[in-house]
Amino acid sequence: MTLAHDRTSDFLEGARRERRQIVTPEGVPLSVELADYGERLVAFAIDLFVWLVMIIALLIALVSAIGVSGGSLLAISLGLFIGFMVRNLYFVGFELAWRGATPGKRLVGLRVIDRAGGPLQPSAVVARNLTREIETFLPLGVLLTAGKSATGAVDWSNLGIALWMLLFAALPFINRDRMRGGDLLAGTLVISLPKRVLSGDLVERKAKYFFTDAQLRAYGAFELQVLEELLRRQVTPDSMRLLAEVCDKICRRIEWTTPIAPADILPFLREFYTAERAFLEHEQLFGKTRADKHAKPGGD
Amino acid sequence: MSMPAATIDAPAAPAAPTAVGRPEIVLKSSEFRKGRAEGWLELERLVTRVERHGIRGLSLDELQRLPILYRAALSSLSVARTIVLDRNLLLYLETLSVRAFLAVYGPRANPLTGLRAFFGQELPAAVRSARWHILVAALTLFLGVIVGFMLTVQDETWFNSFVPSGLGGGRGPSSTRADLYDKEIFAPWPGLVESFGLFAGVLFNHNTLIGILTFGLGMGVGIPTIMLTLYQGLPIGAFVALHYNRDLTIDFLGWLAIHGVTEIGGLILFAAGGLVIAEKMLFPGRYSRLENLAMHGRLAGQMAVGAVIMLFAAAFLEGGCRQLVASTPLRFVIGFGVGALWLAYFSLAGRGARR
Repeated sequence: MTLAHDRTSDFLEGARRERRQIVTPEGVPLSVELADYGERLVAFAIDLFVWLVMIIALLIALVSAIGVSGGSLLAISLGLFIGFMVRNLYFVGFELAWRGATPGKRLVGLRVIDRAGGPLQPSAVVARNLTREIETFLPLGVLLTAGKSATGAVDWSNLGIALWMLLFAALPFINRDRMRGGDLLAGTLVISLPKRVLSGDLVERKAKYFFTDAQLRAYGAFELQVLEELLRRQVTPDSMRLLAEVCDKICRRIEWTTPIAPADILPFLREFYTAERAFLEHEQLFGKTRADKHAKPGGD
Repeated sequence: MSMPAATIDAPAAPAAPTAVGRPEIVLKSSEFRKGRAEGWLELERLVTRVERHGIRGLSLDELQRLPILYRAALSSLSVARTIVLDRNLLLYLETLSVRAFLAVYGPRANPLTGLRAFFGQELPAAVRSARWHILVAALTLFLGVIVGFMLTVQDETWFNSFVPSGLGGGRGPSSTRADLYDKEIFAPWPGLVESFGLFAGVLFNHNTLIGILTFGLGMGVGIPTIMLTLYQGLPIGAFVALHYNRDLTIDFLGWLAIHGVTEIGGLILFAAGGLVIAEKMLFPGRYSRLENLAMHGRLAGQMAVGAVIMLFAAAFLEGGCRQLVASTPLRFVIGFGVGALWLAYFSLAGRGARR
C-alpha cells in the first residue's frame, strides 16, 4: 500500500518521502516518513535561537547582579558555564517532557523515535543530546578560542578539528537514515509527522450510471487514487477544467459513448470512482490486486 | 462475472431499487469506515491533547481509553491495508497510528527522573561494562608517558617536539629550577575572578580537543584512537622528565595530581569510548555493523558524556583550586581523593538496581 501512496504523491506533487518501517510492540509495521535535511535545519535554527536568547538573558541578569564588566574573564567563563548547562538541559528536558520534540521540532512537525520501534528511552534522549556537545559545540568552542588565544600552536589542532568536524557534520548526509552521530549512538531516528485530517468518504450511494466489469478493468489502484485526489480538491474553474479532461480520457478509454453534460462531470466521476473502487476492492479481497492500468488483468 | 461489478458488495437480499432502477452501492470499505471512524476521531482528540499538554492532561477515564483506542486503530490499519483503497483514509490511519504509538510509548519519565536514572545507573553501568577498554586506554596512555619520560630525561631537546608551544607556556629546557618552582608549581593564587576566568581557558585546551578526537576517531576502527592516546601521554612524560632533572618530581606530581587525576581519567574515558565504537565496528558478531553500533553505541555515548563531566570538574579544580592549595601533600590528598570518589561512583553507583 505504501508504494501506491508514494506513487500518487510523486505523480501529483512531484515530491517523494523517504520512508522507513518500524514495528510496534504489538507487531504491526508502521511506515514513518524520514525528516528532510531542510526541516531539521530549520528546527535546529529555531532551537538555537531560543536557547541563545535564554543564555544571553541569564548571563546579562547574572553579570549585572554580580557587577563585573561584560568583557572580563569571569563573564566569559560564566557564559561558557551557563551555555553548557542551558543548552543541554534544554534539549534533554524538552525531548523528555514533550515525547521526542523540542520547540523547534514541534513547530516544524518533527519527532525523535526509537529506530527499532520500542519506547523512546530516557537514556537514548540523554545520549543523543549530550553527544551533541561532543559532536558540535565543544569543537566549535575549541575553534573559537583557538582562533583567539593561540600563539602558534594552531597547526596540529586546527587540522584535527577540521577533519573531525568534516567527519561528523557530514554524517547525516552519508547514511540512508539521515542520522547524526548522536542518533547513530542512541539508536534513534528523526521523523516528520504531518497532521492529516480524515476527509469524508467520496463514495456515491445513488447509482445513476452503470459500468461493466470490462470497463472497470481498464484501471488499477494507482489511477483510482489519483482520481480520488483530484476529486478531493477544492472546486475552482481550473480544477473543473482538469476534471473535464480526465472525464474525457476515461470515457475514451472505457468506450463510454453517451456524451456527458458539463454539469454532470462531477457526479459522473464520483460514480465512476465508486464503482471502480468497489470493483478493485472486491478483486483485492480475492487476492487479485491491480497496481495500475498496465498490470496484467486478473492478477499481480 | 455476469453480475454488475458495482453491486457485488450488496447485501444478500437485493437492496431497494432507487429511482432509476439500480440497486444502491454498498462498499465493504465504506461500511468498515462507518463503524470505526468514531473511535479514530476520539483517539485523535486524545492524542492531540497528549501532544499539547502531556499525558497528565488526560483524566483517568481517558487514560484508560487511550491504549484501547490505540490498539483498535492499529487493528483498523491492518485491515484497511488489505481491503481499503481510499488513499485519504489509509494515510490518515497511518499517521494517526504513529502519533498514537508515540503518545502511548513516549518516554514515561519526567526530565528529572530521566537524568537521575542516567547518572544514577546508566552512566556508571556503561563505564563498568567497558572496563577492559578503559584498561587498554590507560595502558596506552601510560606507555606514552613512559616513552616521553625516557626520551626527555636523556635529552631535553625532545621536550620541544613533544609539547606544543601553546601547552608549554614558556616552560622548556631553558627553565631553571627556581622558575618552575615559583612561577609554576607555587605561583601565587591570582584571586577569585581571575582563577574562575582561567576555568574557561583550561576547559577548551589542547588536551580536551585531543580527548574528543580520540573518541570521534573511534569510527576509524580504533587505530587513530590508540595513536592519539599514546600521543597524549608524551607531553606528560616530557613534563615529568623536565622536573625530574631539576629535582622537583614530587612537587610537580602534586601540582599535576590535584586536577590531573580527574583530567586524565576523563581523557582515558574518551579513549575507551572510542575503543568501544571501534570494537563494535570491527567485530559486529552476527549483526550488521550499523545494527551492532546502534546496540552498543549508546554505551560509548554515555561514556563520552561521563568524560565531558570529568573534564568540567578537572577544569574547575585546575582553574579554581590548584594555586589556592599551596601544599604538595594537600594537593595529593585532594587529587587522589577526588579520583577515589570517581572510582567509587563509577564502580558502585546503581549496582543493585536492575537495568
